[in-house]
Amino acid sequence: MDQSIDVADCLHRWKAGDEGAAEQLILHLHPVISRIVRTHLPRRDHEDDLIQEILMKTFSRLHQYKADAPLTHWVSRLAVTTCLDRLRAQKIRPELRCADLTPEETDIFDRAELENHTRDAADVIQARDLVDKLLSTLPVEDRRLILMVDLEGRSLEEISHSTGWGISKIKMRLFRIRGQLRKTMDKLEKRT
Amino acid sequence: MNEPENTRWHNLIALSAPTFTGDDAPPYGFVTSTMARLREETRQVELAERIGMRALFASLALLFITAMVTLGLQYHDRSDLEPGLRGIVQVENVQLS
Repeated sequence: MDQSIDVADCLHRWKAGDEGAAEQLILHLHPVISRIVRTHLPRRDHEDDLIQEILMKTFSRLHQYKADAPLTHWVSRLAVTTCLDRLRAQKIRPELRCADLTPEETDIFDRAELENHTRDAADVIQARDLVDKLLSTLPVEDRRLILMVDLEGRSLEEISHSTGWGISKIKMRLFRIRGQLRKTMDKLEKRT
Repeated sequence: MNEPENTRWHNLIALSAPTFTGDDAPPYGFVTSTMARLREETRQVELAERIGMRALFASLALLFITAMVTLGLQYHDRSDLEPGLRGIVQVENVQLS
């Protein structure tokens, strides 16, 4: 059960037409959806529109929600699916060239080789844009997998549970993704 | 299967990590605009349901009327002759079954 609000009560009130309950649910679900959208989609995408779209889907499908798991879990799955669908609709760039990077991104790329360099807010944004560009060369499922491991620090067992893939399949896939990322970054390093 | 560590990639991910975290609260006006959209979508769904129900009832009514007319015609066809033909039947006193 979610702790911050009484979800069951809110759902009951919403079904009875209480708009205040819907507002409470929006406030409750926004942080969860916001985190998923930020993780899955490039920074420049219109995240508020997508969060709103996910909330609309949530409300239109609330009758399908069985209270056997927390509402946030159910909404998370819906949000991830929506994000992946959005990513699939975007064109995958098979190759990233040095010319595709801005001078700031090139600078960040060069400095990222060093472990402890100074960080400011602009660096963080440039690094994110560069990561988005690198991720855009990967298929949607690979992008999700590498982020689950390297960003969210999830274990292989957890990933296996959430994706339904076997551990060996995940390892093989990670190996291939890392190889592809390394190849792309080597090309960028050689300024090709 | 051990690939050498891709330090640059890991540093980039670590550096950009704050941009992947979500907001704790929605931006100003978000709830209001979401509620407005929710109201509008609920209205559209209700409207579509009403139109659907009306179309269903209209179809059923049309089906009923068609069935009634067909049955009625079937029972009245025997006496429903053209005026000329009816005249011949009357003059000749033909028995119609």
